[in-house]
Amino acid sequence: MVPTCFTASKLSAPTLQTLCRNLSVHLPNTIYSFSRQVSPSTSRFRHHHVRFQRRRLFSIRSKSDNDAEPLREYDFDLFTIGAGSGGVRASRFAANFGASVAVCELPFSTISSETTGGVGGTCVLRGCVPKKLMVYASKYSHEFHESNGFGWKYDTKTKHDWGTLVANKNAELQRLTGIYKNILNNAGVSLIEGRGKIVDPHTVDVDGKLYTARHILISVGGRPFIPKIPGSEYAIDSDAALDLPTKPEKVAIVGGGYIALEFAGIFNGLKSEVHVFIRQKKVLRGFDEEIRDFVGDQMSLRGIKFHTEESPQAIVKSASGSLSLTTNKGTVEGFSHIMFATGRRPNTKNLGLESVGVKTNKNGAIEVDEYLRTTVPSIWAVGDVTDRINLTPVALMEGGALAKTLFQNEPTKPDYRSVPSAVFSQPPIGQVGLTDEQAIKEHGDIDVYTSNFRPLKATLSGLPDRVFMKLIVCAKTNKVLGLHMCGEDSAEIVQGFAVAVKAGLTKVDFDATVGIHPTSAEEFVTMRTPTRKIRQSPESEGKLGIEANATAGV
Amino acid sequence: MARKMLADGDLSQTSQEESQYDFDLFVIGAGSGGVRAARFSANYGAKVGICELPFHPISSEVIGGVGGTCVIRGCVPKKILVYGATFGGEIEDARNYGWEVNEKLNFNWKKLLQKKTNEINRLNGIYKRLLSNAGVKSLEGEGKIVGPNSVEVTQLDGTKYSYSAKHILIATGSRAHRLPIPGQELAITSDEALSLDDLPKRAVVLGGGYIAVEFASIWKGLGATVDLFYRKDLPLRGFDDEMRAVVARNLEERGINLHPQTNLTELTKTDSGIKVVTDHGDELIADVVLFATGRLPNSKRLNLEAVGVELDRTGAVKVDEYSRTNIPSIWAVGDVTNRMNLTPVALMEGTCFAKTVFGGESSKPDYSNIPCAVFSIPPLSVVGLSEEQAIEQANGDVLIFTSTFNPMKNTISGRQEKTIMKLVVDAETDKVLGASMCGPDAPEIMQGIAVALKCGATKAQFDSTVGIHPSAAEEFVTMRSVSRRVTAGGKPKTNPE
Repeated sequence: MVPTCFTASKLSAPTLQTLCRNLSVHLPNTIYSFSRQVSPSTSRFRHHHVRFQRRRLFSIRSKSDNDAEPLREYDFDLFTIGAGSGGVRASRFAANFGASVAVCELPFSTISSETTGGVGGTCVLRGCVPKKLMVYASKYSHEFHESNGFGWKYDTKTKHDWGTLVANKNAELQRLTGIYKNILNNAGVSLIEGRGKIVDPHTVDVDGKLYTARHILISVGGRPFIPKIPGSEYAIDSDAALDLPTKPEKVAIVGGGYIALEFAGIFNGLKSEVHVFIRQKKVLRGFDEEIRDFVGDQMSLRGIKFHTEESPQAIVKSASGSLSLTTNKGTVEGFSHIMFATGRRPNTKNLGLESVGVKTNKNGAIEVDEYLRTTVPSIWAVGDVTDRINLTPVALMEGGALAKTLFQNEPTKPDYRSVPSAVFSQPPIGQVGLTDEQAIKEHGDIDVYTSNFRPLKATLSGLPDRVFMKLIVCAKTNKVLGLHMCGEDSAEIVQGFAVAVKAGLTKVDFDATVGIHPTSAEEFVTMRTPTRKIRQSPESEGKLGIEANATAGV
Repeated sequence: MARKMLADGDLSQTSQEESQYDFDLFVIGAGSGGVRAARFSANYGAKVGICELPFHPISSEVIGGVGGTCVIRGCVPKKILVYGATFGGEIEDARNYGWEVNEKLNFNWKKLLQKKTNEINRLNGIYKRLLSNAGVKSLEGEGKIVGPNSVEVTQLDGTKYSYSAKHILIATGSRAHRLPIPGQELAITSDEALSLDDLPKRAVVLGGGYIAVEFASIWKGLGATVDLFYRKDLPLRGFDDEMRAVVARNLEERGINLHPQTNLTELTKTDSGIKVVTDHGDELIADVVLFATGRLPNSKRLNLEAVGVELDRTGAVKVDEYSRTNIPSIWAVGDVTNRMNLTPVALMEGTCFAKTVFGGESSKPDYSNIPCAVFSIPPLSVVGLSEEQAIEQANGDVLIFTSTFNPMKNTISGRQEKTIMKLVVDAETDKVLGASMCGPDAPEIMQGIAVALKCGATKAQFDSTVGIHPSAAEEFVTMRSVSRRVTAGGKPKTNPE
């Protein structure tokens, strides 16, 4: 296919817009290209201008946008504020589709603030990646224990050098932020360092310099939030916890969410004394109830002390420098560090949102429609700043969808059904689809298959490690609605099953699949008898009971 | 639910015939397939007897044990040793993560062996209990077929018992086969390799199959010098060529000496060890020489000639698609039929047999998209077609998606070993025809992918699945650009690439 190329220099803007709109209606399958006049004074923009001549470039606007907006020229087709997972994905893809794109990001720092960030965003610099590296590091102590059962011995007690880990981790982060910059550069995206602020629906101010854009994307992410209590200034958040200069000897973690559990595992594995304070009776609110119980038990067995139904009230620093945490139930003393993993908040302050009329909810999250558009038609938002499902791959999906919507004439809604996720606690959790409670609510009658077993490795290591697996199946349709696992390799195991669940496969399909022996994962395709059947309507019970017996096969 | 003797037709005859026989089913061999068939048949209401040879880790004509190859001399003990050996690399990797581990590590082979034996004894007990809980009568001794409906069991002390059975199931499995070269008695098979008194310092492995590759990895991981000899250019014939090359490279980078296109011609005992001579005229000295040169079905001493059960030329029992032999009352499942020699396949065959014969539902085992794993270090796992098979079989073009990446763990450990993933897709239907992976956790990752393939998932369905971040597995759902397109019917040599 030979792209038709219109260049802005040859056509006046009104003609161009009309032409494009008409063409997009009549010739939906043709790839066109047009270029918008860019600021000739800036050399890095000129670079794009040249590229555009030979690359397909296509920008569509929705009808309302076209009608409402005065015809004008912009520096960019897309200006992205925030170069994290969602922002980089949207920018790159938009550029690949031919748009002229700029992205601004705060200067690099391992600790985020109003003035620091870094290309790569939370995932790469203060989230998924460093967290997983720390998990790898901390898991070794468990592996050393396991290996004893397999005949390995160590002359002296294994020691961990915190400095080596942090130095190697930071070197890796520097490498990754460099890679992300290269990715943007190779895609032809202009990277501007500084704090972006929206001035009007088509203008962004970056540290005093103004840039105009047809579309603005807000992808500024979120930051840890520490509630104000007396002494909360002594607490650290996850940013700081990933970059401590020395090993914490005794650490309190406040919170029962996935971040709290992941750090509890990390510090415990690296030989700190770990106390976790949670408000609820159980960890991981919102997760499958059985998984919540199971992971709490397994983590306790590895030496983590859980303080349930305790809310923090005050932190006091003693003369010796150690910290004490007072809760509604009492005071625990002697902490070297107190970490709060009490949620994250969208970074929507001082973005100029109020002045242009971008609506946020009470948590400060930007409200978007199903195409990721804010209340201002030219302004869009993806990722944690919208506070929906705050996961890197979801931000990537949103970024990819937005680029398609804006620059490939293919309006695309992100699909939030059956998004799998993992908690890198030790042992880890993987899950996709619905919990029991959600499944009952949405589908009524369900069959639940569970398996709780001691994996082969644990029989040799002698450690009390177990694996828990669960399938939730719709009694009417036989579809697998939910799949949950806690145990070694959960995150890796669940990915493939997520493809199956997303594709709407049934329990019969699972059963038809032959196992890979000997693995843990094969348990998911060899669950023959339901652990329990949950029935809403008494009249359906008898009938379905027979069907279930027939499929169970034993 | 009424029990229907489908294989024998009329239900009304069943009750009359039942009294004629000691058992509805007699199973010879209590390995994966036999135990599964026996249990499930009993659960359907059949009266079942099963015989198995006395227990010992090393199998022979007269020694076996409840649990069979998988539990006693295969999957389970092998995986235990692989776990043990994997720690070797893990401990090296730990150093860059800040762990101060002594340069010289102490590995106690005897301890591992003892614990492995304990675990196998435990499993052997579990299998026995499974049978007795299902109401299956277990007999210890060697089973022979003396008629279409009668078997003879010879106990260890020589006592013989005869039993009649409406159906007989042969599930005697297979045994390692030695290459007939001078000095072959100096070599060991995988049975002995799983129970060696001492860890070899210098090991020679002959064979290019999964067993050879797994033992090479085990011994190398535990600190031995390992030389691996095989006839072809690459190990693991039958697997995807690209993945075979990856496995070979990984083995080499983990320090195993590879000798492709090389056979062993002679073994001699010397004071310093076993002298190994190759067909290239090279010589080396080893403490242990493992022959992993294939396995043969255990069909010799079953007296099959007497009743006329047909065997193929390798000695495998010939069966139809319902696992029935040419004698209508005699059936066979598992390795003795030499179809697809995997535990879960024997389980499937056993299940289908029980359903067909006693469950009132004729069931054929389905051999499509059966996943499998090679527990080399790092492991390989595949499901569906290899690239070569897909090109051979596809009607239209085949799209190949590959991803080669440095696993995140290696970014700090410094290990130079890439993980490789591959999807083979039918260009016309978008169906994923095959998936393979070589890298840590591959077998665990592949199981879920296998469910998707089994049900004909398309590449679009893979793409629409959101990744789990950060994992290796997410790569399978984020392969956006095609690595190459192979034209319909294109044989590798006519392929423009």
